[in-house]
Amino acid sequence: MIGMLAAALILAAAAPPTPNSCAALRLHGQVSQAQACYQTLAQSDDLYLQAEGDWGLGQYDAANTAFRAAVARNDGNPLYRVRWGRLLQERFNDTDAAALFQEALARDPADADAYLGLALVSADGFDGKALEYTHHALTLNPHLAEAQTLLATLELEDSDPVAAARAADAALASDPDALDAMAIHASIDVLATPNTAVPSPWLARIAAVNPHYGRAQEIIADQLVLHRRYEEALAYYRKATELDPQLWSAHSALGIDQMRLGQDAAPELELAYNNGYRDIATVNTLRLLDSNKNFDYIHDQTPNGAITLKLDKKESALLAPYFERITARALAAYSAKYGMTLPGPVQIDAYPNHDDFAVRSIGLPGLGALGVTFGEVVAMDSPSARPPGDFNWADTLWHELDHVYVLTATQHLVPRWFAEGLAVHEETEANPEWGDRITPDVLVAISAKKLLPVASLDQGFMHPTYPNQVIVSYYQAGRICDFIEKKLGAAKLVEMVHDFAQPTTTSAVINQALSLTPLAFDTEFNTWLAQDLGPVPGNFNQWRIQLKALAAAAEAKADAGEIIRLGEAVRALYPDYIYDANAYGFLAAAYAARNDTAHVISTLTDYQDRGGREPALLLQLAALEPAPAAAATLERINYIYPMVADNHRRLGDLDLQLNRNQEAVLEFNSVLALHPLDKAGAEYDLARAYYANHQLDQAKDHVIESLVAAHDFRPAQDLLAEIMKK
Amino acid sequence: MKRLACLLLLLAAPVLHAQTYFVTVAGLGGESDYTQRFNANAQALDKLFRQSGPSARVTTLIGADATRAKLSQTLDQIAAAARPDNDFVLILIGHGTFDGVEYKFNLLGPDISAGDLAALCNKIPSRRQLIVDTSSASGGAATALAHPGRGLILATKSGTEKNATVFARYLVAALQDPSADLDKNQAISAEEAFQYAQRHTADFYTSQQRLATEHPISNDDKLLASLTLVRFGAAQQQYADPAKRALLAQKEDLERKIDALNYQRDAMSDSDFKTQVTALLLELTKVQKELDQ
Repeated sequence: MIGMLAAALILAAAAPPTPNSCAALRLHGQVSQAQACYQTLAQSDDLYLQAEGDWGLGQYDAANTAFRAAVARNDGNPLYRVRWGRLLQERFNDTDAAALFQEALARDPADADAYLGLALVSADGFDGKALEYTHHALTLNPHLAEAQTLLATLELEDSDPVAAARAADAALASDPDALDAMAIHASIDVLATPNTAVPSPWLARIAAVNPHYGRAQEIIADQLVLHRRYEEALAYYRKATELDPQLWSAHSALGIDQMRLGQDAAPELELAYNNGYRDIATVNTLRLLDSNKNFDYIHDQTPNGAITLKLDKKESALLAPYFERITARALAAYSAKYGMTLPGPVQIDAYPNHDDFAVRSIGLPGLGALGVTFGEVVAMDSPSARPPGDFNWADTLWHELDHVYVLTATQHLVPRWFAEGLAVHEETEANPEWGDRITPDVLVAISAKKLLPVASLDQGFMHPTYPNQVIVSYYQAGRICDFIEKKLGAAKLVEMVHDFAQPTTTSAVINQALSLTPLAFDTEFNTWLAQDLGPVPGNFNQWRIQLKALAAAAEAKADAGEIIRLGEAVRALYPDYIYDANAYGFLAAAYAARNDTAHVISTLTDYQDRGGREPALLLQLAALEPAPAAAATLERINYIYPMVADNHRRLGDLDLQLNRNQEAVLEFNSVLALHPLDKAGAEYDLARAYYANHQLDQAKDHVIESLVAAHDFRPAQDLLAEIMKK
Repeated sequence: MKRLACLLLLLAAPVLHAQTYFVTVAGLGGESDYTQRFNANAQALDKLFRQSGPSARVTTLIGADATRAKLSQTLDQIAAAARPDNDFVLILIGHGTFDGVEYKFNLLGPDISAGDLAALCNKIPSRRQLIVDTSSASGGAATALAHPGRGLILATKSGTEKNATVFARYLVAALQDPSADLDKNQAISAEEAFQYAQRHTADFYTSQQRLATEHPISNDDKLLASLTLVRFGAAQQQYADPAKRALLAQKEDLERKIDALNYQRDAMSDSDFKTQVTALLLELTKVQKELDQ
């Protein structure tokens, strides 16, 4: 090894500089020699060498200009386009980079480096084509070490350390100095041994080649982040920046990871930004940090742990009581279930702007998720971040809090499919109305036999290969946990959590905990699922046709009898369809047109029981129900979209009718928190709730506020007189 | 001071202005959904105004009546009949257009421009007028309709907000919802109706996660606060009863004191404020009880 290194350096010193020889010097930590090498290239008359030299010197604009000129002068040379594309990919312009790689392939369809470029772009976006492009590159050039290293990276992201190690070995066979492949080996070691003080031997091998190779630590940290081990990642990012203080990507990633964990992220992000590292994630995260002043931090203590809520000032007074209530319930339930208390407070950040939540989570807008857990920090959409009925925020919070426990219990070693499956399962355990019902996407995937084997289910989350595969994977993972509970009891799921607290694989846990091979498990699960779903997957096409007919009939204002006939048929084919244009809405309207209140109630109760969450339909139901049921329905709406003052007012009135005075106080406080126009009315309502709850001082305060706003308000005048008599 | 001024106007208004002329127009819908919606809103207003008492003179133009000729004829008739102390309220529900220069309200047959509408309203001798234009692009009519003594409520802030509006829906709701009566005086003023409709319109777009395509505006909150659109309860009778004038004066004095105390609130301790305001409020309650007998 040392001999090879020496030979390379001697060669590099003796021969005229080339891009490869300069890169070799840099790889081996010969910083000043590499700099001199790139200087020489930059002064070359050859435009391509000039571009490589400028790039090596960090003069990206000059390099870009030189590549453009080189390509213009030699249009047929795919190498120039590939290298230009790599520059753009490195400098955060994946779109133009991909176009250049495609143009290179148009000139040479067998250009392995161009396929590698496409694979890198796809890997940046976590799309399923990264693997395909990588394999294509390796088919064309089986000794392309960088492609083998990328393959190792992708395999490890999919939680397959065996395949990752195999690919890393192949990279090292092609290039014994492939430091990134060594870093993958080190990552495999680190991922397998949580919080170990013993460093991976691969780190020593890397240091022997280049003691300042911070990128290796950054690669390990990236893998830790992808495996949700955010705390450990911090240490590796820090080490990366210590070894190579100018590794701006690591400074940025360190800052973003600090933000995930609720730490001060600004210094690292600003350092990266001020040194030209201005990718979208860095810029967005810095912007988001600027908005922190708009949030309130609310601290609370429950019997099962401390809570910190980070809520937008505009909605914190409204949301805090409800978030505290659900969090306290979840902490109690999970502490009992998993037999543990959390080591520190749970922080919940709720963002009224979905893109802020997305940036908070991944540094980029466009995240499809509703919530993300980082250790003991949960970031999620606020109820106001999405249209009414789009999601049940309490359900989302319950889901994420399961992650907090399971990640802590397993030291973050749990595979993604089990963590997600268990959290989905727990939603429905907590409340049968919670949890997403089977969607058309999932039915189509089941019919097309696209469910993944349990042993490779993580791929469905990490590198989906078809649209909505992530949603299908959530559903499958949740149903797997349902199946295990039905077959072997809830304790088995907890046992599996403990099994995953050790470095292991899904296959090993399935074998050990369930006494089944993964293949046999898949067979049993698929049989059970088919029985559980009954005829619904087979009904899907018929349902789709009949739903269209129902919608058309409603549009054409067909008579109620016809709508009911069509609607009941549609509902019977796929009763769990509670999403857009569902049969329940059409049926409720048709029964209402016939003044058939009993059927309106039964239809909408069925809708509600199946998790229907369209507030308009639930309000229609609440208006027809007797007081206790109506109050329960309005409470459900609070967990879906609590942003409407009138709903709180109605619930407060019902609570007072039902002598639930403390609940009435909460609801009328919510009305005030929404800054109603009718301040006098809202203050009066709160006063009478306090009065009913025997809190006379508070009642007096609020009735005074009511009368200060509206002196003529007779009911408030009467209440004040009554309070003063006591 | 502004609130005190509003209060005085509010108290004075019912005595001074015995009659109010209401004209509501449901413009051309173009599509059946819009037509139904416009007509339903206009019919609801017609009912509300007629129920609000014998002093209301109500004209509602819907369907075949919603033409430029009929509207002009109606406004001419009011110009001939109204006295300066009669209030005049015109409410337009429908679609509007704005070509960058001129706003037009869409009617069956020829449309009517803001300039023509203004000319017709200028002939009406009422010193206090209100024009509520709930149509798309109605902000484009602001300049042409502006006139001393005329309050304006427009569904859009400019002529460039051209999408169909939801403002009318909430304006009607304001007159039906007791919670729009912010000062609890058993009457809903134009200002209260505007605030209610403005808030609910904004809430509509927020809750639907849609970019708001209408931003309602008004021009004179004092005038709007003094213009009562609907009344309910006993308030109207009290103001007309000479036997109760002394009590009304006493009530007005107490209300002034409460407002004055509230303005000094930040300079007082919380307990001082509560003690003093409670005493005044209890006294006011006693006076109110006598008035209500």
